[in-house]
Amino acid sequence: MSIITRSPFLFRINTGSCNGCDVELATTAMIPRYDVERLGCRYTGSPKHADILLVTGPITARSKPYLLEVLDELPRPFVVVAVGTCPTSCGIFRDSYAIEGPLDKYIQVDVNVPGCPPRPQAIIDGVAKALEIWKQKIRDMK
Amino acid sequence: METKNKGYEMSGFLKIAIRNLLKGPTTDPYPFGETFVPENLRGRLSVEASACTACGTCEEVCPSGAIHITKNGSVYLHTVWYNTCCYCGNCEFFCPTGAIKLTNNFHTANTEEEKFKFITVATISEIECEICKKKFMPPSEELLKRAYPNMVKGVENFRTLCPDCRRKQAFERLHK
Repeated sequence: MSIITRSPFLFRINTGSCNGCDVELATTAMIPRYDVERLGCRYTGSPKHADILLVTGPITARSKPYLLEVLDELPRPFVVVAVGTCPTSCGIFRDSYAIEGPLDKYIQVDVNVPGCPPRPQAIIDGVAKALEIWKQKIRDMK
Repeated sequence: METKNKGYEMSGFLKIAIRNLLKGPTTDPYPFGETFVPENLRGRLSVEASACTACGTCEEVCPSGAIHITKNGSVYLHTVWYNTCCYCGNCEFFCPTGAIKLTNNFHTANTEEEKFKFITVATISEIECEICKKKFMPPSEELLKRAYPNMVKGVENFRTLCPDCRRKQAFERLHK
């Protein structure tokens, strides 16, 4: 275990979300009031750099191949956070023919942050939990 | 004219800069400190078991199927699973007794192991009829207050009687 620890990158993908959770994520990341960078993580534009994946939306049939592509591109180890009720359990869309969720059908989810949308503080809670799990995963790899 | 304008802009900028320096950080100190929670924030539910009559209205109106009422022996279990709840407040709006209230507790982040344990269970128990000893669900005080605002005093005794015995007693009270 080195003294210098790595800082994780966050990557966000919208899988057919109504944009409510995305607005809350943007709020959490960008405005100084709920600065998520205090926890030592930053947003990135590419899934190839990402360590923590934030998924919003109930995984529509249309967006599913793009999600699977992102999951293939992530470097190991990574942590998956389901932001909002939709990726956690599909919520109010659960019986729709166009919905292929929930997220844990395709990948091992680590943290769920339900809410419609969750508060920025709840998202910060989820990212803090994800950070601990990510550090544990790195320790397990060594 | 131009220089004058520039000077004005500069002084305005300095004013804002000094004000911001004195104001301190605007960042919410949440994960390391206290945060502001609005009074009317729709968060996790609180179910008052003594007021609930297990009528099933909340289960019917819940758009995300988060509420389930199951019968286990002589008790009803009112279960809310927060990982599918959309915090719309329909249950609070339609609850005839006012037993369900949305609190402003927003702490919803949970790990995958806790996914199906992230519930609250309220136990609503039936009572025994005074005459025939049959178990039944009594109307709660809150429900009676809402249904009969000007309740006659003698009627209160019927609360502990099952529907059949209550019918008999009410008939005898009137015709004997």
